Amino acid sequence: MSVFRHVALTLTMGLAAFGQQPEDQVRKLFDESCLGCHGSARMSGLSLSTRESMLAGGKRGPAIVPGKSSESLLYKAVAHEGELQMPPGKKPLAADKIRVIRQWIDSGAPFGTKPTGPEPVWWSFRKPVRPAAASIDELTRTERVPADRRALIRRATFDLTGLPPAPAEVDAFLSDSDPNAYKKLIDRLLASPRYGERWGRLWLDVARYADTGGYETDVLFPNAWRYRDYVIRSFNDDKPYDTFIREQVAADEIWQDNLDLNGTYELPESKRKNLDRRMGTALYTLGAMPVEYSLFGQQYRAEWQAESANITGNAFLGLSVQCARCHDHKFDPISQRDYYSLGAFFAGSEDREVPIVSQMRIFEYTRYQTKVVAVEELRRKLNSLQPNDKDGRETILRQIGEAYVKTPAMYDKANLLVHTEPVPDTWILPRGDSMMKGDKVRPAIPAVFGSGPQLDEPDNGMFIPRRRKALAEWLASRDNPLTARVMVNRIWQGHFGTGLVGTPNDFGRQGDKPSNQNLLDWLALEFMDHGWSVKYIHRLIMNSDAYKSRRNPQRLDAESIRDSILAVSGALNTKMYGQPVVTDLSKDEREAMRDLTMWPVTLDAAESDRRSIYLFVKRSFRLPMLDTFDAPDTTESCPRREASTVAPQALALMNSDWTYRQAVRFAARLDPSKDPIGQAWQLALGRAPDSAERARAEEYVGRNDLGRLGLLLFNMSEFLYVN
Amino acid sequence: MSIELSRRQLLLSGLGFPALAAAAVTNPQAAKQPHFPATAKSVISLFMHGGPSHLETFDPKPALNRLNGQHVPPSFGSVQLQFSKFEESTVLGCRRTFRKYGQSGLEVSDLFPHVAEHVDDIAVIRSIHHDGFTHTAALNWLNNGWSRLGRPSVGSWVVYGLGSESENLPAFVVMLENGIKSGPSVYSSGFLPAAYQGTLLRDGPAPILNLKPQRGMTESNQRDMLDTLRWFNERHLEKNVGETSLEARLASYELAFRMQIAAPELADLSKETPATRTLYGLDDPATGSFASKCLMARRLVERGVRFVQCWSGGTGGEGDWDGHKQCDKNHLDMAAKTDRPIGALLTDLKSRGLLDSTLVIWGGEFGRTPVCDGNMNGGGDPDGRDHNPYGFTIWMAGGGIRGGQVIGNTDEIGLRAIEDPVHVHDLHASILHLMGIDHTRLTYPFEGRQYRLTDVAGKTDLVKRLKTKA
Repeated sequence: MSVFRHVALTLTMGLAAFGQQPEDQVRKLFDESCLGCHGSARMSGLSLSTRESMLAGGKRGPAIVPGKSSESLLYKAVAHEGELQMPPGKKPLAADKIRVIRQWIDSGAPFGTKPTGPEPVWWSFRKPVRPAAASIDELTRTERVPADRRALIRRATFDLTGLPPAPAEVDAFLSDSDPNAYKKLIDRLLASPRYGERWGRLWLDVARYADTGGYETDVLFPNAWRYRDYVIRSFNDDKPYDTFIREQVAADEIWQDNLDLNGTYELPESKRKNLDRRMGTALYTLGAMPVEYSLFGQQYRAEWQAESANITGNAFLGLSVQCARCHDHKFDPISQRDYYSLGAFFAGSEDREVPIVSQMRIFEYTRYQTKVVAVEELRRKLNSLQPNDKDGRETILRQIGEAYVKTPAMYDKANLLVHTEPVPDTWILPRGDSMMKGDKVRPAIPAVFGSGPQLDEPDNGMFIPRRRKALAEWLASRDNPLTARVMVNRIWQGHFGTGLVGTPNDFGRQGDKPSNQNLLDWLALEFMDHGWSVKYIHRLIMNSDAYKSRRNPQRLDAESIRDSILAVSGALNTKMYGQPVVTDLSKDEREAMRDLTMWPVTLDAAESDRRSIYLFVKRSFRLPMLDTFDAPDTTESCPRREASTVAPQALALMNSDWTYRQAVRFAARLDPSKDPIGQAWQLALGRAPDSAERARAEEYVGRNDLGRLGLLLFNMSEFLYVN
Repeated sequence: MSIELSRRQLLLSGLGFPALAAAAVTNPQAAKQPHFPATAKSVISLFMHGGPSHLETFDPKPALNRLNGQHVPPSFGSVQLQFSKFEESTVLGCRRTFRKYGQSGLEVSDLFPHVAEHVDDIAVIRSIHHDGFTHTAALNWLNNGWSRLGRPSVGSWVVYGLGSESENLPAFVVMLENGIKSGPSVYSSGFLPAAYQGTLLRDGPAPILNLKPQRGMTESNQRDMLDTLRWFNERHLEKNVGETSLEARLASYELAFRMQIAAPELADLSKETPATRTLYGLDDPATGSFASKCLMARRLVERGVRFVQCWSGGTGGEGDWDGHKQCDKNHLDMAAKTDRPIGALLTDLKSRGLLDSTLVIWGGEFGRTPVCDGNMNGGGDPDGRDHNPYGFTIWMAGGGIRGGQVIGNTDEIGLRAIEDPVHVHDLHASILHLMGIDHTRLTYPFEGRQYRLTDVAGKTDLVKRLKTKA
C-alpha cells in the first residue's frame, strides 16, 4: 500500500502542471454527489475522505481496488453494474463523470494527502442567514389583489379559531373605520381561548396524539388528555416555543421539583407551575404501542426508545430519522449509530403513571380505602352466589352500589417521564431487532450536527441521568439550524395550506427544498429574536399583504367542519379541558367497533356538543364523521392533512343522523318572522344572500322546510371552503 | 373526487402520465392503465381470521400421527411462539383424512369437499412465511405488507394503482364478521389518501354507512336537494374557476346519489335464482353468513369493483379460526360455515366467465403449529395448536393462474417452509404482477422515502410458476 501511495503522490505532483487532473475532477465529483453521506457521516461505514478510508472501505468491503475499476465497488456502484446503485434513489451520474471515476481508478487512484472537504452541507443543516430584505412582502414579490374585508374576517377567524365569525363580529369589523381595525381583529382572535383549541389541534397532529395505544389491545391511556390540555394552554399562553420544547423533552430534569406542601394546604404556585411543565413530557407516553405477552422488558424498552427517537426527529427537527432504525439512512446523513445514540437520550427514563397531588391527598385516599375493600368483599360474595339466586344477587348489587358511592375518589394521576434505576445500556440493533445486539452507544446527537452536548456520567449506570436535559437544550438552541425553521414552516402551512417547505416533517434530502429560503430563514430568525413567540409569527404573517390577498379556497379540516356545524346551529358547548368525551354513535357507526365496552359513552349529552379536540381519540376506531374528512392516522406524526373529496363525505353531510340533528337545531334557531333565509346565510356564510340566491332558497324552503335548508347550507362548498 | 394530488405527488407516485393526472384529479378511483397487461382485473380475498391450520386442510403431514405425543426431534430446530415453549410442547396428530381430487390429484382434507371439487383451478402454495407470531403482526403482514401499524393495505395499493371499473360503487369493499384483532388498519389506506381505504359493506338493505336519507326524505326530495345544491355550488365554482377540488365535489355528490341507488340494488339478493341461493347455501343457517359475503363478492366483481375482501370469523362474535383449543373441532365448525360458499363462488365465477379475470385468494394470517398449544400462562390445550407463521398455506384460483398444482412445501412436520419458500413480500409482489403492476414502481412518497407495498423486497418468481402451462 505504501508503494502505491508513493507512486500516487509522485503521479499527482508530476501531472499537476497540466490543469485539472483526474484527482481534482474526482474530488469535485465526490464533493457534489457523494460526501453528503460518505464523508464524516460514514454511511454504511464508508468514508470517501481519504485514500486510506476508501481502501479500508465500509461494510461491503473496500471501495476501490487501485488500477482495477472493474473490481472496484465504487465504480460498479456509480456505473450501476450490480445490485448496489449509487447515488441512491437518484438518476445515475452523467456518463462522462462515471468515465472520470473509471480512469482515475485505473490510473491507480491517486489522491494526495489532503482529505476531501469541506463537505457540502445540505441547506437545512446550515444555520439560517439573514436576507437583505426584512419583511414578508419584500421577500415575496408577486402580483396580488387584496381580499375584501368580509373574506378577511372569515379567513382570519377560521385560521386562528377553527370556527366561523359570528354575524355580529362580521358587522362590527365591517363598520369599524379605525385604520387599525384589522390589527385589532387579529389581536382579539389571538386572545380568544378558541385559538389554543385550533392551533393546539395542529400540534396534536404532529404529536400523534391519541387516548389509546392501538394494535390488538388498544389499551386506554387514561391520562393522555392532560397532555392535550397542556398543549392548548401552551398555545393560548403563547409559551415561548423553546420553552415548549424543553418542557416536553425534559421538564423533570430542568425544573426539578417535588410536590411537598411546605406548611401550606394547597400546592404552592411555583410547584404547581413546575408540575404543569412536566405534563409536556407526556409526549413520550402517547405513542402507538403493541401490548403483548411476547414483548418482554428489554424488547418493550427498545420499541419505546425507537418511538421516542422518531417523534423527536419528526416533531422538533423535521427529520424522518426512522429509516435509520434498521439500516443507515439511505438519503440523509443519519447513520444507524446516530439513530440509536439519539434513542439513548431516553435510556434511563420511562413512562409511568404517577400521582400529581401532594402526599396529604394520597393519605386522605388511603385512609378511606377501607371502603374500597368493602366493595371488593361484596364483589367476592356476589361471585360465590348460586347462579339462580336472583334475590341474593339483587341485594348484594344494591349493597355494592351503596358501598361504592362512599368510596373516596381516586386522586389525580398523570403519565409522565420518570427516571429508572440503574440506567440501561443502549445498543445498536441490527435490522432493528432487539434480540440482536450490535455496538453499545452513548447518547449523542447525529454526527452531522457536530459534537453536541457533553454528558458527564459515570460508567456504572448508577446515577440520576440528565440526558434529556442535554438533548432539550440542544434542540431548543439558536444554534440548531432546524428547530426554528421547522416551526415557522408549520405556522406558515397552517395559514396558507402549503408550507414554504412542502414536507414539514422532512427537511432532509428526500423532502422538498424551500420554495423561498430567504423568507423561511427570515421568519426563523424573527421567531428566535422575538422570544420564540408563536403569536408574534402569526401577527407577522397575518398583517402581511401576502396574507391579505385573494387566494384559492381551502377546505376546512375535519374538526373545523364538525365544530362549525355545531357553532352555526347554536349548539356548540365551549367548555374547555378535561376527560375526553366519548360521543354516542349511530347503530351503523357502531358496527365497525370490535368491542363496545371499549367505547364508554359520556352520559351527559351536552358533552357531545363540545369541540372536536375534546373528543376521545381511539386508535383502532376513528369517528366516521372526522375520519371521512381526513382526520389523521395517529400511528405516526402527521405533518399535513390531506383534503380528499370522496362520496362518503357527501353521504355523511346529507344523510347522517348527526348532521340531520344539527340541521334541525339550526332551523329552530331561526326566527321565522324576521327573514329566516337572511339569518341562515349570515350565520352559515357570513353574508346576505343575493337576490337570485334568495329566490332559489325561498322556492326550496317552500317545497321543503328550514331544517332542509340547514342541511343544504352544511353541504355548500362555500360553507366548507374558505377563501 | 379529488385528492388534491399535487403535481409532485403524481410524478413521485409513479403514475405521473399527463393523461392520468387529469383523470386522477377529478376522480381518484378512475380506472388507470396498468404497467403491463394484466391477467387479473379483480381480486376476491377470502380471509380466514385467526389463522387456519395448513395441517388440517391443504398440507397433509403423515409424520404428525407417527410422532403424536412426542417432542419434536431436535433436527427440526426451534421457533419462537406466542404462547407455547416449542421445546416443551409435543406433536399433535391430525384427525382429518386427505384424498386426491380432480385430474391433478391434488390432496385436500375432508374439511373442504366443495372446494376440493375445484382443485384443477386451484394453485396451493404451501410455503408462505413471515415472522409475525402474534395476530396483530401477522394480520398486518398479510394485509399491509409490514408487521407494524400505519402502512396502506393491499387493497388500497391496488386501487391507488389501478382505480376502479365501477362508477357507482366503492373500488375496495370489505365485508366483516365482527371485529378484527388488529382493528381497521387491515383495510385502511395508511398514509395513502383516504380515497383509497376499504369501504365496509354491511348486511341488509343499507350496506354503506349513511347510505339512507333521513326518514321523510324521499328520492324526489333528495333529487331536489341535490339539484338546488348543484345550483349553489356551481355559482360558487364560477367565482373560483379552475379549482379542481370544487369540481370534484360536484362529482362526488352525483356519485353519492348513484351509490344510494346502486348499493341497495347490489345488496338485493332477491333476484338471485333459487338454484344460486342453494348453491351458496344462502338460506342454511350454518353457511348463510359467509354465503351472503361470497355471493356479494361475485356481484361486486360483476359490477367492476376492483378489490373485495370477505372475512370469515372475527372477535366478539361466533369465533374464528384461532384453534388454540380443540383445533380439530374448531376447524370442523369453521369449515362447515365456509366450504360450501367458497365452492359455490368458484363454480359461479367460472360459469359466468368471471374466474379468468378474478383472482381468488384463500388464507389466514398464519398457519398453526405441529405441536400442541402449551400456553405458558396456563390454559394450554393438548388438543389445540399455536400460531405458526414460519410455513403455511395460501391458495389461489382464477386471475390467469394455472390450477391443479402445488407450489413449495414445508418440512416433514409442517413447521417451516423449506421448498420454494414464498415470503409475504413475494406473495404481494406476485399479486400486483398478476394485476399488471410492477411492485417496484407502485410507490408513494412519505416520511422521506418512496414507500411500496413490498418495502425493499419482493420477488415475482412465483408468477412464472403460477402461470406456466402444465
